[in-house]
Amino acid sequence: MARERYIKQLDLLKESVVSFGMMVELAFKDSMVAVIDLDVKLAERTLAFEAEVDKLEEGIEVSIFDLLALQQPMASDLRLIVSTLKISSDLKRIVGLSINIAKIPGRIEGGHIKPLIDTKKMADIAADMLENSIKAFETQDVELARATAARDEEVDKIFYAVWVELIEMMAKDTSIISKATYLLFLVRYIERIADHCCNICESVVYLTTAERIKLN
Amino acid sequence: MTETVLNVAQSQKIAQPHIEVEHLNLWYGEKQALMNISMQIPKNSVTALIGPSGCGKSTFIRCLNRMNDLIENCRVEGKVSIEGKNIYGTGVDVVDLRKQVGMVFQKPNPFPMSIHDNIAYGPRIHGVSKKDIDGIVEASLRSAALWGETSDRLKSPALSLSGGQQQRLCIARTLAVKPSIILLDEPCSALDPISTSKIEELIMDLKKDYTIVIVTHNMQQAARVSDYTGFFLMGELIEFGQTRQIFHNPRERSTEDYITGRFG
Repeated sequence: MARERYIKQLDLLKESVVSFGMMVELAFKDSMVAVIDLDVKLAERTLAFEAEVDKLEEGIEVSIFDLLALQQPMASDLRLIVSTLKISSDLKRIVGLSINIAKIPGRIEGGHIKPLIDTKKMADIAADMLENSIKAFETQDVELARATAARDEEVDKIFYAVWVELIEMMAKDTSIISKATYLLFLVRYIERIADHCCNICESVVYLTTAERIKLN
Repeated sequence: MTETVLNVAQSQKIAQPHIEVEHLNLWYGEKQALMNISMQIPKNSVTALIGPSGCGKSTFIRCLNRMNDLIENCRVEGKVSIEGKNIYGTGVDVVDLRKQVGMVFQKPNPFPMSIHDNIAYGPRIHGVSKKDIDGIVEASLRSAALWGETSDRLKSPALSLSGGQQQRLCIARTLAVKPSIILLDEPCSALDPISTSKIEELIMDLKKDYTIVIVTHNMQQAARVSDYTGFFLMGELIEFGQTRQIFHNPRERSTEDYITGRFG
């Protein structure tokens, strides 16, 4: 086959994005355990991820710019490169949100104002979405991408329910406003992570079919 | 394949294509070089023909002004209509056809005479009066973006021009006889990048007045200048469609393999 080195570079790019995705998944899951258990030590581990993630993302970007500048990619190769650029930017945003989540345990003293049952459920769905969107990218599975993005609705439902619940709690007892506000931020971060997973799924559809669609 | 062609035509609603090729077959002796080609080319568009060496793209473009008639043992079947008229029909004046369908080749081939006379040659033999010649020379050189570089040296030998200028001169010479279609057979393959980009700009400018068909080995060039692209392989038209679609999301695997360089 012609252009073997180029094809290897493309494969490597894809693999890097998949590894990046797995790392991001870990960061998000750890940050959720840290916030639910208010485990500051675990939270610090997530915070330490930032530098590593930056390095990985930069490496991916450099490969993309090199491929664009030097190889004149066309057709599905071009779509792969454009998708990986967009996906790595979504993954970076998810890391940023996970880091925001990991900062919460250090700011809440003396336990949560309520058990985080629905919030955990919401985060579990978002984590599934993240895992499956990366899997859909790896296998270029359009059906999986669509099914994954469809779960955003479940996340949104829980988000609004928890939001309303927290507002009602604050209205009844103003002493919890500070802690409740962190929880409002928390659900908002998770909801945004699910949105980024939808973006990744859109990129998978584009990569595979060249169709640009909205799944969010 | 016919279906692909029809899809493009339908999506573009080409009511009256400028060039319509139907079931074109061509043989060099026993060897079939073109197989059942159908294609519709709209007016005022640029169509690029791509494909590996020996795939039939140059043979195909030469069918559009019957240049293959000059080759012994060459046999053509099928129909090529220009503005609705079959150029392989009876009573076609081939000289008139080649006036209407101009052609520029890979290697610039100016006549060994002055810049002015190169352009004037065609109009003269077609009987244009002397007083109109200078106007045609100027207009043709202007259209070929060569007037600025040659207006003060029209009497100089054409062969004193650079390769890129010679090629633009050949385009100007083609324009002088007022064709409606221009065929370009790898017009930039002997030129440097600057001359190439000038020719590419020229192609895009000329589109408003002419229908252009270009054979090129340079895929980026096809992507840059053309509205439609046809991919040929072993004498067959594998895929024909809007350039945007061909380079973004080709329907056929072999087109994808060729344009991404996986061929071979």
